[in-house]
Amino acid sequence: MWKFLARRLLIFLPTLIVISFLAFGLSTCTPGDPVMLFLNTGNNPGAQLSDPTSYEREYREMAASLGIDKPIFYFTITTSAYPDTLHRFVQKERRECVRALIARYGNWPQIAHYYRQVALLDRKLFQVKGQASSEALTRARATLPFLYIQDKDPLIRYHLDTLQFAFRSDSALLAAAGAQFDALNAAYGRVKQEATPSAHWLPALRWHGADNQYHRWLQRLLRGDLGVSYRDRLPVSDKLATALRWTLLINGLAILLAYGLAIPLGVYAAVHRGSRRDRLIAVVLFALHSLPVFWIATLMIIFFTTPEYGMDWFPTMGVGDIDKGDSGWQVIATRVSHLALPVICLTYGSLAFISRQMRSSMVEALEQDFVRTARAKGLRESVVIWKHAFRNALSPIITMLASVLPAAIAGSVVIEVIFGIPGMGKLTVDAIGAKDWPIVYAVLLLAAVVTMAGILLADILYGVIDPRVTLGKKKER
Amino acid sequence: MFGRKKRQRDTGDGNRRQSPWVLARQRLRQHRPAVWSLRILVVLLFIALFADFIANVRPIYCRIEGRHYFPVAQQYAVSLGLSNWKPPFNGNNWRELTYEKAIMPLIPYSANTLDVYNGNYVGPFDKQKTKSPRYRHWLGTNRVGHDVAAGLVAGTRTAMLVGVVAMALATLIGVLLGSLAGYFGDQHLRLSRAAVLLYSLALAAGLYYAFIARSAAWMDGNLLVEIIKSISIIAVCLVFCHFLIKWFEKISVFKKPMQLPVDAIVVRLIEVLNAIPTLLLILSIIVLIKRPSIFYVMAIIGLVRWTGIARFVRGELLRIRQLGYIEAGRALGFSEWRILWRHALPNALSPVLIAIAFGIANAILLEAFLSFLGIGVSVDTVTWGTLLNEARSQPKAWWLAFFPGFAIFVSVTIFNLLGEGLNEALNPRLHR
Repeated sequence: MWKFLARRLLIFLPTLIVISFLAFGLSTCTPGDPVMLFLNTGNNPGAQLSDPTSYEREYREMAASLGIDKPIFYFTITTSAYPDTLHRFVQKERRECVRALIARYGNWPQIAHYYRQVALLDRKLFQVKGQASSEALTRARATLPFLYIQDKDPLIRYHLDTLQFAFRSDSALLAAAGAQFDALNAAYGRVKQEATPSAHWLPALRWHGADNQYHRWLQRLLRGDLGVSYRDRLPVSDKLATALRWTLLINGLAILLAYGLAIPLGVYAAVHRGSRRDRLIAVVLFALHSLPVFWIATLMIIFFTTPEYGMDWFPTMGVGDIDKGDSGWQVIATRVSHLALPVICLTYGSLAFISRQMRSSMVEALEQDFVRTARAKGLRESVVIWKHAFRNALSPIITMLASVLPAAIAGSVVIEVIFGIPGMGKLTVDAIGAKDWPIVYAVLLLAAVVTMAGILLADILYGVIDPRVTLGKKKER
Repeated sequence: MFGRKKRQRDTGDGNRRQSPWVLARQRLRQHRPAVWSLRILVVLLFIALFADFIANVRPIYCRIEGRHYFPVAQQYAVSLGLSNWKPPFNGNNWRELTYEKAIMPLIPYSANTLDVYNGNYVGPFDKQKTKSPRYRHWLGTNRVGHDVAAGLVAGTRTAMLVGVVAMALATLIGVLLGSLAGYFGDQHLRLSRAAVLLYSLALAAGLYYAFIARSAAWMDGNLLVEIIKSISIIAVCLVFCHFLIKWFEKISVFKKPMQLPVDAIVVRLIEVLNAIPTLLLILSIIVLIKRPSIFYVMAIIGLVRWTGIARFVRGELLRIRQLGYIEAGRALGFSEWRILWRHALPNALSPVLIAIAFGIANAILLEAFLSFLGIGVSVDTVTWGTLLNEARSQPKAWWLAFFPGFAIFVSVTIFNLLGEGLNEALNPRLHR
């Protein structure tokens, strides 16, 4: 048993690693810059307008605290045109801009020089104090930040022209920063003139070592630290734990209910197979199976929770508020009234699936020889059905737990969103709306782990119920 | 399917043995629900194909000041860039024009036509301010005055497109990987060292020159053109190395055969994909896309949902490769690939049809739910899911909840029934 468990877990390991690659890889592709989000919602919203050097320092510190100032993975495969220090451009927009410039022109030294000139001019413009007329200076200062993030030639030229116009219109400004502007102009000219797109034809492998984002992410993950939410800076693991409770509660209830209803139904249909009732059950279950859950849920919300049609029987959204003074019964009553509709919706979908499986495996069991023997022995029909046939028909139903569980978790996304239950599904969809990526990918990871745990559970139950299956031995092939 | 006529002629001379496909068709005909679903499917496909002629604010034919126009047909030309609107048609003035004579589509509204007089949720049975009963909104309107019936017609096209395209992609991947895994298993795919080495080199080089080295082209170019270019670069690399293999195999070190554990690789891949709830996986991929479009939704559903098909094909081929006629093929000296594609795979495809039918139902459901959440579809696309979502903000408008949901229900049900029927018609175990 323990050996079997250990081997099963060992098999899961590569799958888990691949899933961690997937979750991490997807999370690095997310749009938007988390540092900007934090800096802007932080204590000084006007940070970008302040001194560029101090802004850069702030940005760097924040990026370091979020752990995104490192290379992404152990290695990168790029073209020989890219430097191996690209990750040192901590600001995401600027890094993307430099990357795009290199992709276009392929000459890193010239591009680095150009980019340094942009930064120098930025600092110069910031140092220029009141002596220049404010209009030209304001325009120059407003234009320059675009050069940090533009990589398309016409747009860069447009911004350079705007700067030139500002400098020409104001002699004081020209005197203060004109030389720097000329250097910038010349640097950009060199980027274009000395372009070496052929550098892209050679591949390059850059090794970054263990000091990378994935490594640190994995280390924190193993310690149970899933990062902080971008929205409210609460630990993601805390938020997930609260959400997982609700998801497991409604799914557990629904699966219990589904199995509790489906097993008798399936057995009944199998025992009376071919009869009119069997066919009726089949048709009803098929119709239920085909009814889209989110449609039924929406209809329920509309008809049963609003006074519009005179059937205002259930509360609309959420899981209900619990007052401190409420007794245990009141708490249960509140929860039941709120969770009744969602659990019904979750149940009916898997009900059809499970009871059809139950029916077919029961039919198969009833045709076995030992059932005939049991009948010939003169055992009562109920004993034959429940003790002989049913126990043999049960194992496929148990293994189905492995496929019911992930389906239920995915299905509960729908239900949670519609009924406003603060479970994992609603957490995910809300997080997507708020661009709160750490939560989205933590849920992805957690859902995979829960699913694999379900598969493992089914494997173990299979062995417990069916003594013919010995868990320790490897299956013959 | 395409070979049916020929096969019939082959078996027609004397012996009355019928091909399994003919038998299957007969059995499918006896499955009444499946026959009815096929009929409904034909109607749905008709609506999807001719959506512009069924629900459109433009007339199919009209006469203005003695001149004849065919605006719906012209609409296709305009969207292809072959023509442009000239007066009297300019912009969205279709409803203000006075036609001397006009044949309007069945529903004289497009999905995005605003009927300002009938906005704010007018129900099917409410009083409507229309010129004549011909312009009545039979299925009501939403908050801004979009016609629900027109939205349903547009949604039919989206749903069918998603189902067909996504499952076509899934079938391609699933059949390819499943047949490799099932037919060759872990031991039977033997390639020379030269082949393994060169093919992997070619693939790496192809991927490098298609994507990494051409990142500048990917930034500015047309997406479709770039995809085609990249695929051809990879193909050129593979073909080039394919010819090099023969030269390398002359060296004995490279000639030694190697076993490729295809089955283990494919099964692992399926396991990884199955360990993540599909909906969450699709959600977390789709949010990365900057400009949402229904085509990305199709592609992602197809890329994620092939595992079922692959499993079916694999299982079937595991059985088939043990059969006598495969061995006979080997004895005749056919190459493994010929046996796989020409002899083994065609016999393994019947479970795929079943999986495709269920898969389309699933894809339609997924797309409807995604657009219900408003994730992955652009704002101006009208689908069944977006219509259903509007019902949530106005409980009074039962028609917004009922009709789109019913459309989803019908299309999901017919594909499920079709799957059932195919299962009964094609599964030989049920007829023994």
